[in-house]
Amino acid sequence: MSFAGWTLAQLWPLFAAGAGAITLLYLLRMRRRRVVVPFAALWERVTRESESRRLWRKLRRLLSWLLQLLVLALVCLSLGDPRPEVWLRDPVSLAVVIDTSASMAGPAPDEPGVTRLDLGRRRAEQALRSLGPADRAVVIEASEQVGVLAPLSGDPSSLVAGLSGVTPRFGEADLPRALALASHAVSERPGPRVLVVTDGALDPAATAALVDCTQGSIPCEVARVGGPSDNVAITAFAARRYPYARDKIEVLTEVRNLGDTPAKVVLEIEADDAPVGTRTLRLEPGQSTREVLGQLDAARSRFEARLAREDGGTQPFGLPHDDVAYAVVPPLTPLDVVLVTDGTNLFLEAALLTLDDHVRLTGISPQDARQGRRPELAEADVVFYDVGADTLPDTLPRAHVVIFDPWRHEASPCPVDKKADVRRPFLTEQDKGHPVLDHVVLKDVNIARGTTFDIVPGDEILVRSLGDPIAVMREGEHATVVFGFDPRQSDLPMRPAFPMMVDNLIRTFEQREAGFVASVPVGAHRELTLADLGLSPEGVTRVRVQGPQGPAGTLPVERGRFRLRALTPGFYAIAAVDGPLAGSSVELAVNQANLHASDLHDRIDDQIQALDLPPATEAAATTDATGPTSLVQGPLWTLVMLVVAGLIALEWVSYHRRVTV
Amino acid sequence: MGWANRLLTRREAKPSASDEALFDEAFLARLELLQVVARRLFRGRQRAERKTRKVGSGLEFADHREYSPGDDIRYLDWTVWMRLHHALIRLFEEDEDLPIRIVIDVSDSMRTEGGAKLRYAMQVGAALAYVGLANLDRVGITCASGRHHTTLPAVRGKGRIFRVFEFLRSADRGGPTDIRAMCSRVAAQSRQPGLTVVLSDFYDLEGAFEGLNMLRFRKHEPVAVQVLDPVEADPTRLGLRGDVQLVDVEGGDARDVTLSARAVAAYTQAHQRFCAQLESSCRSRGIFLAQALIDVPFDDMVLRLFRQGGILR
Repeated sequence: MSFAGWTLAQLWPLFAAGAGAITLLYLLRMRRRRVVVPFAALWERVTRESESRRLWRKLRRLLSWLLQLLVLALVCLSLGDPRPEVWLRDPVSLAVVIDTSASMAGPAPDEPGVTRLDLGRRRAEQALRSLGPADRAVVIEASEQVGVLAPLSGDPSSLVAGLSGVTPRFGEADLPRALALASHAVSERPGPRVLVVTDGALDPAATAALVDCTQGSIPCEVARVGGPSDNVAITAFAARRYPYARDKIEVLTEVRNLGDTPAKVVLEIEADDAPVGTRTLRLEPGQSTREVLGQLDAARSRFEARLAREDGGTQPFGLPHDDVAYAVVPPLTPLDVVLVTDGTNLFLEAALLTLDDHVRLTGISPQDARQGRRPELAEADVVFYDVGADTLPDTLPRAHVVIFDPWRHEASPCPVDKKADVRRPFLTEQDKGHPVLDHVVLKDVNIARGTTFDIVPGDEILVRSLGDPIAVMREGEHATVVFGFDPRQSDLPMRPAFPMMVDNLIRTFEQREAGFVASVPVGAHRELTLADLGLSPEGVTRVRVQGPQGPAGTLPVERGRFRLRALTPGFYAIAAVDGPLAGSSVELAVNQANLHASDLHDRIDDQIQALDLPPATEAAATTDATGPTSLVQGPLWTLVMLVVAGLIALEWVSYHRRVTV
Repeated sequence: MGWANRLLTRREAKPSASDEALFDEAFLARLELLQVVARRLFRGRQRAERKTRKVGSGLEFADHREYSPGDDIRYLDWTVWMRLHHALIRLFEEDEDLPIRIVIDVSDSMRTEGGAKLRYAMQVGAALAYVGLANLDRVGITCASGRHHTTLPAVRGKGRIFRVFEFLRSADRGGPTDIRAMCSRVAAQSRQPGLTVVLSDFYDLEGAFEGLNMLRFRKHEPVAVQVLDPVEADPTRLGLRGDVQLVDVEGGDARDVTLSARAVAAYTQAHQRFCAQLESSCRSRGIFLAQALIDVPFDDMVLRLFRQGGILR
């Protein structure tokens, strides 16, 4: 205990003078009031009866005098501003960064039902309650997003209150941003210090940031809260339609044993809340397995994979949130295909008509296409230009375009430039690996005339004629496929390769468009396309997103795309707010499926000097013993003055009650 | 050291301006009314009809006694001599008016609270004197204490009331209460015993009753009027509390006491016991004792004395 105010050398004379004054006043008070009575003898007879109480009365007066001296002593003590030694040290600005990543939901050692986050919270509370009155602290949460749980304050109770509501998140801790925020918060303040409370199950970026922090200019301490690292997680879960049988769905599930002991789990898969498959898996430490469940009915759209114990127990495998995964298969929507033709190529029409299951075909004459009188062109997903001797329109629509013999006339809107006209070209080489030419054989095709193309980097050459490109695919926002010959001037339409090539083209465009976003991971912002989710983007400027928890929110949509940051695993409903299809909605699956987030092993390098966490029972005892007594944190002299006020009130009451008179 | 002595010694009391107004015109009017009421009370009685027990030359036979040489043989009972040859002298009751002596205690204990008790006692004494003078009785007044003793010799006639007033105004006052000495001196000065009314607070533990008893022993007919201030009898009205130094108004050592509610209540009870004891002692000797509270009008008090105390017979 030291005095921050007046020193003892100053206080003693003050107390001595005050005590003398009080004693003098007390003695003066002892001079009694003279009361003249006519018959003192009678008074004497009466008062003689209370002689036996005289000693007690003297004692009471003595107590009153001592009470006054005690009040004076306490006032002098408050002038000295007594403070514990720990309060007189230099002030500290502490930034507590608490890891709330998914791994913090893991179990704590030796304490059933207690998570690592509970231990971390105790450790943080311990640090906050040990602050002195001049110290300040801020509490920062580090999960997939960074937030301030309690702003910079010197009140431990408010800091602890901000800490009490923290819960484990579902993603990885974004420690780089959290540590940057912590350093920025305390760097300009006296005695900056950073305390990181984590279980050490961090991804490489977070570990690197932590190492940088511990080696930085601001003292950085790491408090580890470890625990058992056994965990079995679903690290991948996806569902898709079969490419060639779109009425069937297959489901892929990857399960990994991230612990140090063998595990036996039961993988259960449900579709639209109905069980569709169960597998029992035995996994060695570090082993992963992929299970494919195929030939499922395409009418089902919501899939859920769940890990269960073989004995039917409800205890999760390590983390509870990675024992379940979700997937959604968007509904199948037909492509809008427009065929611009003069009607003389019945083979092409026939080839497109055979794809009636997933193609909505519209035929337009070249004249209508040139004059832009048909709105179907603007809404089409794929446009085939097979105009023969007619001319192409000046501009091409914003869609995937397939053009046959684009350079028959000199003026052409074709983005692929002409190289040379060729008489009786031979198709000498073809890219057999390209999906457009899958199972297509163009050998010995007879062509009357054609045109080769001048390609640019990025163009994909589908077919060559003696080395020169005669069929090219140019990628972009929309793909453009040009064939340098007219099918009417060849025998290709009479070959099996022609309808197969048309089918390949449609399938290629279809796969580019939609239907393969089965799930997204929690955490970072992700750009999603409405079309990928099976929702028509036309006219949609905002979508309403309803997650598994919390209220719905709206997000802006730009060119059919929006950015979503999902923080909770589960099914999300995405609904169009405006546009022609306003109110229509699709579902999106969000999974934790993150290998780093599910790995409960401590991966902090040994070079970090971490603090030793006291045993959980001791930490709890310390917290209970301290208690949320905010007054203790204030200057002691206020307490002393409160005691003085209480003593004065006591003396006042006793005086007026004639107890100490 | 003269100045010190003047400071330390109690200042001698002199009649104040308020004493000048003690017997004003209003007081005289009330005395007249009182006298009329008193006359109605004792209607039919003769003036100076009081008789002493003295045996002398009266007309009414009282007793016989043995003849002794030198007796007037005119009072020899010849009838007895003739029958019994025994010389007896006939005695007769002598008619003589009975004097009224009013003794007022002027000690310091009567002068507390501005001398209210003393003024009240003087008013009562003056009223008694006026009624007595109006009845042609001889009325004498004594103002006495342990220090002073001033006597107005017995006077007769209604017109002497102003002399009584003047005597009361100018009488010395102060000093300790000494009932026994006061009564002894009154008894010694009185050549003829009579009705003696003592107006005092009787704050004299030992001498109060003894003084009255001495008057009785000297053939006086003592009547005691205890003048009381209600506040003195019950100090709880004053709200006395705490540490005080009690000083007797008549001198003596100061006493430090702590007055609690219990102590004040005990004093009230002790005062009541003192009064009750005084009354009991007087009653056992046939001495009439009346309590005169100063908040009661003096004429009412005088009438009550007439009715209950037998001052006039």
